[in-house]
Amino acid sequence: MAGFPPAQEKAQAAAVPPLGVYVHVPFCATTCDFCAFYQTVPKGDAVRRYVDAVETEAALVPWDSRRASTAFWGGGTPGLLKAAEIERLGRIMLLYAGQPDEWSVELAPATVTPERLAMLKQLGVTRVSLGVQSFDAGLLDALGRQHTPAQVYRAYDLIRGAGFASVNLDLMFALPGQEEVQWRADLTEAMRLAPDHLSTYCLTFEEDTALWVKLSQGKVKLDPDKEAAFYARTWEFLEAAGYAQYEVSNFARPGHACRHNLNTWHMHEWVGLGPSGASQHAGWRAANPPDLTQWHADLDAGRRATADRVRLTDDLLAADAVIFGLRMNEGVSLPRLRRRFPAAGWSGLEDILPKFLLGGLLVASTEGRISLTPRGRLLADAVGADILEAFESAAKVTVK
Amino acid sequence: MPAKLTRNFCIIAHVDHGKTTLSDRLLEYTSTITKREMTDQHLDAMDLEKERGITIKMHPVVMNYPAKDGKTYKLHLTDTPGHVDFAYEVSRSLAACEGALLLIDAAQGVEAQTVANAHLAEQQGLKIIPVINKIDLPSANLELCMRQLEDILTIPAEEAILASGKSGIGIQDILEAVVTRIPAPRWTDYPTLRALVFDSKYDAYRGVVSYARVFSGTIRAGEMMALMSTGQRSEVKEVGVFRPGMEKVASLGPGDVGYVISSIKSTEDIKIGDTITHANKPAADMLPGYKEVRPMVYCGLYPLESDDYEKLKVALGKLRLNDSALVYSSESSVALGFGFRCGFLGLLHMEVVQERIRREYDVEIISTYPSVVYKVKKHNGDVIEVDNPINLPDPGSIEDISEPTIKAAVHIPNEFLGDMMNLIMEKRGSVDHTDTLDGARVMLTCTLPLNEILVDFNDRLKSITRGYGSMDYELGEYRVSDLVRMDILVNQDPVDAFASIVHRTKAEGQGRALCEKLADIIPPQMFKIAVQAAIGGKIIARDNVREMRKDVTSKCYGGDISRKRKLLDKQKEGKKKMKLIGKVSIPPDAFIQVLKTNS
Repeated sequence: MAGFPPAQEKAQAAAVPPLGVYVHVPFCATTCDFCAFYQTVPKGDAVRRYVDAVETEAALVPWDSRRASTAFWGGGTPGLLKAAEIERLGRIMLLYAGQPDEWSVELAPATVTPERLAMLKQLGVTRVSLGVQSFDAGLLDALGRQHTPAQVYRAYDLIRGAGFASVNLDLMFALPGQEEVQWRADLTEAMRLAPDHLSTYCLTFEEDTALWVKLSQGKVKLDPDKEAAFYARTWEFLEAAGYAQYEVSNFARPGHACRHNLNTWHMHEWVGLGPSGASQHAGWRAANPPDLTQWHADLDAGRRATADRVRLTDDLLAADAVIFGLRMNEGVSLPRLRRRFPAAGWSGLEDILPKFLLGGLLVASTEGRISLTPRGRLLADAVGADILEAFESAAKVTVK
Repeated sequence: MPAKLTRNFCIIAHVDHGKTTLSDRLLEYTSTITKREMTDQHLDAMDLEKERGITIKMHPVVMNYPAKDGKTYKLHLTDTPGHVDFAYEVSRSLAACEGALLLIDAAQGVEAQTVANAHLAEQQGLKIIPVINKIDLPSANLELCMRQLEDILTIPAEEAILASGKSGIGIQDILEAVVTRIPAPRWTDYPTLRALVFDSKYDAYRGVVSYARVFSGTIRAGEMMALMSTGQRSEVKEVGVFRPGMEKVASLGPGDVGYVISSIKSTEDIKIGDTITHANKPAADMLPGYKEVRPMVYCGLYPLESDDYEKLKVALGKLRLNDSALVYSSESSVALGFGFRCGFLGLLHMEVVQERIRREYDVEIISTYPSVVYKVKKHNGDVIEVDNPINLPDPGSIEDISEPTIKAAVHIPNEFLGDMMNLIMEKRGSVDHTDTLDGARVMLTCTLPLNEILVDFNDRLKSITRGYGSMDYELGEYRVSDLVRMDILVNQDPVDAFASIVHRTKAEGQGRALCEKLADIIPPQMFKIAVQAAIGGKIIARDNVREMRKDVTSKCYGGDISRKRKLLDKQKEGKKKMKLIGKVSIPPDAFIQVLKTNS
């Protein structure tokens, strides 16, 4: 599938925001203790039916002749699909969304095979994200992950051998029983592999996960102070190693930041396909039901993106653009966002900015760009809740 | 039955010394009630009584007793509340009698409360009959009890009657002593009706029921009566006695104790200690001893759930029907919302009311620091009373502040004397004199500021003496003292619920403790937040709320935007429920936790 001619693409980029496409592959061999993403163990012809349904769904999307500049396949474990299934899914996406400039696929180490990698490469995938989590066999086991450190090395070598433009490693920290010295060993090991991109995630206790159950039973404990220390050490370590932080959990060598995610955090547009896939597109924000059966039922009835449906307004987008924008190291340009979302309650934000500036959580440039300090970044949710409240209270005042 | 065949008496005792059981035996012996009828009636009241060291009052009872001299006597047994918080009410109940049984537990000996009540009875001119109860206990120490009687109460030991309410020992001896030792009713010759109101109850069907002791004259239904303190007139609807149920009679005459129901609608209009007389033939003077009862201790009561405000209001209204000493008015607090400022006779009264609101009305409440009533003299000569620290006038206008004191009798085993003296000193008290009770115990008579015993004095006393100490007190005089208002500020903003009036020498220590506690209880904040204690503008103590270390979601993908927004919404809504003080969101239960750990 060829893309649009370059001239047309440029004109499009100026007129409409970039579009991303996300495909959720909801299959896993087993469920990891920490995972809250929607996934299920595939049975019978479930994968074939799933791929058919993605095709049905893609046909329902009002693409409006737009090409997606980025794509991202997540899961679940997209690598659980056989090479032929990958090919079919890929062809469907390309048919509707066009050839993306950046196309990421998440792979679990145990699923990486030369056949699959060759197929991904052939389709035009540019970026592989490998779910390493840890190089420590004991910790991997504690997380309920189904791979060994040896499989990680093997998978990494295969991926590098296939020649993808960008390779990311996912790592997790603040695991139960993990001390700083072990985390440092994980980071060091990751550096030795020299990936282009690193995502380091603080273990989060999400509802409906096995870890959450352990937490509520008191078998593991939350320790925000320890987590804060892990964060700070990570940032220092990776910066010294030449990986620039560009978001709370993301680091990249120059030119390797994930454009698909940046597009999301800039509050542009994306189309989500597959169960639980979320969209922000054509005036709406909505998601597919996080359930394979319901998603099929929706599509059989000619519907998609039926859950959590809200209309996109300046207030909604402005607040989210600031909240998610501040999670990025570059922060946000307030003058630019005001031009994009002129109707939002900006006065509310103006009222609360001084306390963050004075309190050392935020810095501002003379051009009106604001960004969080390292301490502010550690409190991004607390700051975000205040910002949300500020936008809403300003909106209420305007209504009155 | 002529008044000379009537005897009026009460039983005074320390809690647990067997008053209820002994009363029951007297009622049984005189066939006023059968054993079977007796049992349940008293059991329910016992919980609170035991826990709080008070006796819940029963109504007066009339008994007929055929004495050894061949005559049948009419005996009125009047109950008295056991605690000095109710000293005035005790004094009025005692005033309705000519004699008292002083109950001493044979195993426990004389307690502080026994002494205090015996002195009250003596002041009323009552004949005291000592009864050593529970003599059948293996741990009974009769010799010690006899010696204490003589040494502490200066009552000849040979007057003591040995009894056991449980086994029914000595019951007839007691009844004989009531007839022979207690004089016949006094003041029967007064030319007009005079009846003492010593209690009143609100009955949902009959309205206000006054308990009265007639001294002279007779009162019957249909007459117009007047209350002498206010001159208020009302029609007598019914008179009667308790046997032990309410029993209507044609009239109550000299020496009789019973009830009077009139057209008065509210217990507030019937003041304990008032004198009832005939409206058209009024007495020239009231019976002695009438006083306006005024609250000594105040605190704010707030519902834990703001939805329970109405329930709390109803509860206070109903309690007040039977407890005219309880006063309340609505107030609001930034920290605690809407509630009531309540006045009580004393600490125990306060605890009992709070406990009844919780148990009987099922309202969870939180109380602010109790405060006594201060008298503030201003430069212009005005004297105002202040029971809430936030009402203290500007310090520049104050000449001086006086605080109420108490005279306390503290009974402790000798070995704890040193620690007890230290506690009294710490509480700004002084020991006026020390009496040896026996080889092992001493009684300290001391003067203490009332506000120093409001919070933990009794607990400390119990802990110092391993539970063996006891205390009783009566109110003393007001005394000028170096008192200041201490404010607690969160991020420079005062928190009204924590303002207090304290002695200047205590301010720093209390301020520091409070700041520390509050700083610990307030959840970690995004910014550096100070909790300070201040007198006037001067900071005397400070602490910092912990700073939030980490509050950030790790992963935020496209699909997470909605989820994340929901989380932030939740976080934001959670904050709305909090109290905003000094721009700091504080969960309401933080205040409650601080107040709880201090009470």
